[in-house]
Amino acid sequence: MAKKSFGSRRFLPSDPRVEGPYRLTPQLAFRVAILAFLALAVFAVLLLRLWALQVLSGDRYLAQANDNRVRTLRLEAPRGPILDRNGHVLVTNVPGTRLELWPADLPKTWAVQRRELQALATVTGATVKSMLAELAATGSDPLTPVVVQRGLRQDQIDYLAEHTAEFPGVQTQDSYLRKYPYQSLAAQVLGYVGQISATEYARLGSKGYLATDAIGQAGVEATYDTYLRGRNGTAQLTVDSLGRPKGPATLQTQASPGEALRLTLDIGLQRAAEQALRYGINLAHTGAEGAHADGGAIVAMNPQDGAILAMASYPTYQPSIYVGRSDPQKLAPLLDPAKAAQANYPGINRAIDAAYPPGSTFKPVTALAAMQEGLVHPFDQLLCSANFKAYGQVFNNWTNLIHEWIDLPTALAMSCDTYFYELGRRFYVLPPDRGHPLQGWANRFGLGELSGIDLSPEVPGLVPTPEWRRKAYPVSQGFGPIDRTWKPGYSIQLAIGQGQLLVTPLQMTRLFAMIANGGNLVTPHVAEDVELTGTNGQPARILRRFGAQPAQPTGVDPTALRYVQLGLEEATHASFGTGSGVFGKFPVDIAGKTGSAEKNVTLPGYQYPQNLTQSWWCGYGPYNAPTIAVCAVIENGGHGGTAAAPAALRVFEHYFGKTATTSQHASD
Amino acid sequence: MAIEAVDTRTRSLRSRRQAEATGLGGVLRRLDWILLLSLVAVVGYGLWAIDGITKHDPGGSAASRQGLYAAVGGALFIAALFVDPGTYQRLRRPIYFGTLGLMGFVLAAGAVTRGSRRWIDVGFFTFQPSEFGKVLFVLALAGFLAERARQIGSPTSTLSALGYGLAPIVLVFVQPDIGTALVYTAALAAVLFVAGVRWSHLGILAALTVAAALAVLWLLPAAGMNVLKPYQAARLTGFTHPGNDPQGATYNLRQSITAVGAGGLRGRGILGATQTRLNYLPEHATDFAFASLAEERGFFGASILLLLYLLVVWRALKIVTGARDLYCAIVAGGIATMFLFQVFVNSAMTMGIAPITGIPLPFVSVGGSSMITNLMAMGILQAIHMRRPGRRRG
Repeated sequence: MAKKSFGSRRFLPSDPRVEGPYRLTPQLAFRVAILAFLALAVFAVLLLRLWALQVLSGDRYLAQANDNRVRTLRLEAPRGPILDRNGHVLVTNVPGTRLELWPADLPKTWAVQRRELQALATVTGATVKSMLAELAATGSDPLTPVVVQRGLRQDQIDYLAEHTAEFPGVQTQDSYLRKYPYQSLAAQVLGYVGQISATEYARLGSKGYLATDAIGQAGVEATYDTYLRGRNGTAQLTVDSLGRPKGPATLQTQASPGEALRLTLDIGLQRAAEQALRYGINLAHTGAEGAHADGGAIVAMNPQDGAILAMASYPTYQPSIYVGRSDPQKLAPLLDPAKAAQANYPGINRAIDAAYPPGSTFKPVTALAAMQEGLVHPFDQLLCSANFKAYGQVFNNWTNLIHEWIDLPTALAMSCDTYFYELGRRFYVLPPDRGHPLQGWANRFGLGELSGIDLSPEVPGLVPTPEWRRKAYPVSQGFGPIDRTWKPGYSIQLAIGQGQLLVTPLQMTRLFAMIANGGNLVTPHVAEDVELTGTNGQPARILRRFGAQPAQPTGVDPTALRYVQLGLEEATHASFGTGSGVFGKFPVDIAGKTGSAEKNVTLPGYQYPQNLTQSWWCGYGPYNAPTIAVCAVIENGGHGGTAAAPAALRVFEHYFGKTATTSQHASD
Repeated sequence: MAIEAVDTRTRSLRSRRQAEATGLGGVLRRLDWILLLSLVAVVGYGLWAIDGITKHDPGGSAASRQGLYAAVGGALFIAALFVDPGTYQRLRRPIYFGTLGLMGFVLAAGAVTRGSRRWIDVGFFTFQPSEFGKVLFVLALAGFLAERARQIGSPTSTLSALGYGLAPIVLVFVQPDIGTALVYTAALAAVLFVAGVRWSHLGILAALTVAAALAVLWLLPAAGMNVLKPYQAARLTGFTHPGNDPQGATYNLRQSITAVGAGGLRGRGILGATQTRLNYLPEHATDFAFASLAEERGFFGASILLLLYLLVVWRALKIVTGARDLYCAIVAGGIATMFLFQVFVNSAMTMGIAPITGIPLPFVSVGGSSMITNLMAMGILQAIHMRRPGRRRG
């Protein structure tokens, strides 16, 4: 049997051809035994050590675990100050205290946690709802503190310090608060600082921003946040199981303060501009057409390099109400849409973020374009009369007390509408292969596009073209084919800056700067440089200069420009000039143009829109060597000469340090 | 005549046994059920532990990802059952040089993570060749040693095995991955030991190893030559003096010991385990998983894991004694020792009685390469067991 013969195999001599059956040798058995012994020893050691740590010394380590809580504190870097061009401090910091919640140390049960937050709400004035929202927004990381309030008062700090045991997980930290020595001056330019929002954090989290950070929310605070913010430091603090500090914090990295931002603004001129704006609005109220004047903007710019000297917007607000977010009542006009409409949107920077029809201030564009395109010669005499008839329509002049043949500079000075209606007609009848040169030149002069200023948000305005009209009035949305076509009246209205044309005050300032400097389009900017402020009288060290970008030539003919300049100077000095009553007696030679643009406005409290006149004045001076270009617009302010021109004069008065001997009203 | 008859009978017997081993019923009958059940237990326990450990991490529980790795590892485990270990022996050269080539490739083109090149990105997962290399290393070295079974006592055998063994160790060391290099060293020692190398040779090697360690850690730095980077040396020797430098090299160690100790007899639970939950204990899902387990589940929870490991080691050593041939014995011995070494160094490190190295805790630490490799190694052990001579039937 197989079994038997197999069993007897061991008695056979070994055969080299047969693979020797492997057997466990005593030697190997011994070695495996050693390994087994080693394994037993290893597990004995491990279990003994585990026993020693967990059972014999467990209490000690448990106490250590409860005690041993190292917290990394964020040391807030003071935000960089903002200076005007002469070094006046516009925004700085004051030390403050912020209130933080550490999720890890808050009571674990919901009821107890709620009780604590309610007590905290009573002490600090922050609502439980907002605190819970902040906690939820920061996510699940229990070791990242949540800032629920900045700018605690001393009595609140004292109370919390005396009752730490009742507030586990609540901590106060040194921080800085923005301070505005000039209060509301330049509010929209400066912007404000606020807690980073969830969407901003999603965008900037990879760039080193933390969910607890404050960030510039508007104006230069937002644009130059990376320079202003500085770098936060860290310190380590050991706290006990209730989150109470045990001993002082040890510094790990020092916070490095933000850099100072120097602006091109002149705070004196800024104040003058804001006062001038309020003065212009008051003036408008005295006139019949300006009864609804309620807002406006003034921009003053260096026409050679685009440096903004003043940028005023009305109504305005105090940026300090954002600090600490202590008074929701005061913040409502800025945050709540309904309240904002009631207060006429104080948060909007009307110089760049609001667009108006420019009215007669657009006429220099029509004049330049017509000369460039060979549609008119500066000394061609066209009829200025009470009205202009074309295509079965009657287009009225702003005054009917005239009937004479005039040249181009006079037409600008008198702001004669019929002269420009005729130019508009000539643009309309151009053959299609010439395109739309009027709109083309308007674009080339910076209208209908963003100016590129280092502030946001900015609107591009609108220069309407037949193509735009076809796109904006699609048939599919119920607009008939008639509405989509470009009618002759649109070209004729466009020539005097009416119709659907929309521009921002800054764009117009840029346009007049171009006229002033001989045809170059500047890039407006408010930031001069970032620097380290010198201590003890040492000069500041400039880290990075933003400054002016080279002005772009527009390709406009210098001779054509010369006739427009002449017309603008006559407008403020000739007996027939629309601005002569305001600027004629001013010791410095100012050139500029009034504008009275009609716009359909639905005023708050009214159901239907009414046709109200937007008051404009744009110009520059001194005429021969311009150093400042100014644009003023008073919303619903009536005729340009009534409100905007006198307001602009106030800016020139401050800028040149001279007062006009008389200040009469002019007309348009 | 008689001799040949016996010879054919033995051959037919062996082939019948092999046929038995490959059929499904045979596979199930010849498996080491204790080993299999303890493996299922330890993998399941590890998944449960990791779920608790990583519950509060930013990415959420890693248990499902780890479960996926375990499933892949399980498939490889089953595949390994059907491969005769003799195949590995025949293929020792391709296996060995393939492993070397892969490690060289990692050094040249691998992804750098936390300062070392260990990983190759293969899309759905980053693969760590040095981890897989552990098993291949044992399979190849065992082949070289079994080849010289008759002259195993000669110094040439010892030296050639040493030569084969040191090359991959050096490649892993320069990645740099000191922990895995130590595991390779332990595996090398184990295969030499099980293969039957002379005691005197083993003694000399042990003495040389101690001398080299002293030189690297102490003598050469004293003479101004740093083989290790200062942080590496600090980690290796830090466990001897955890008291000083609380925020530096031994910060992890101090937090780890505190975590283990704070666990006490019954553990602090998932919510109460502040060391883990509040992230005081870094790398708690990987290198310091044992400390986290000990904190959350206490002495009971940690002991259960250690005892399951002991069960696995015991069965593995039992397989060494029942192996079909010397090659299988060496492989089984190498795998068993390597496993024991990893368990010891990792868990001892978290308790402050071994140097801090990046060795993962088998079947617990989050990581695909480790989980898959360990399951594959266990599959090879089972394959060896299935092909044991054993008592015959019929």
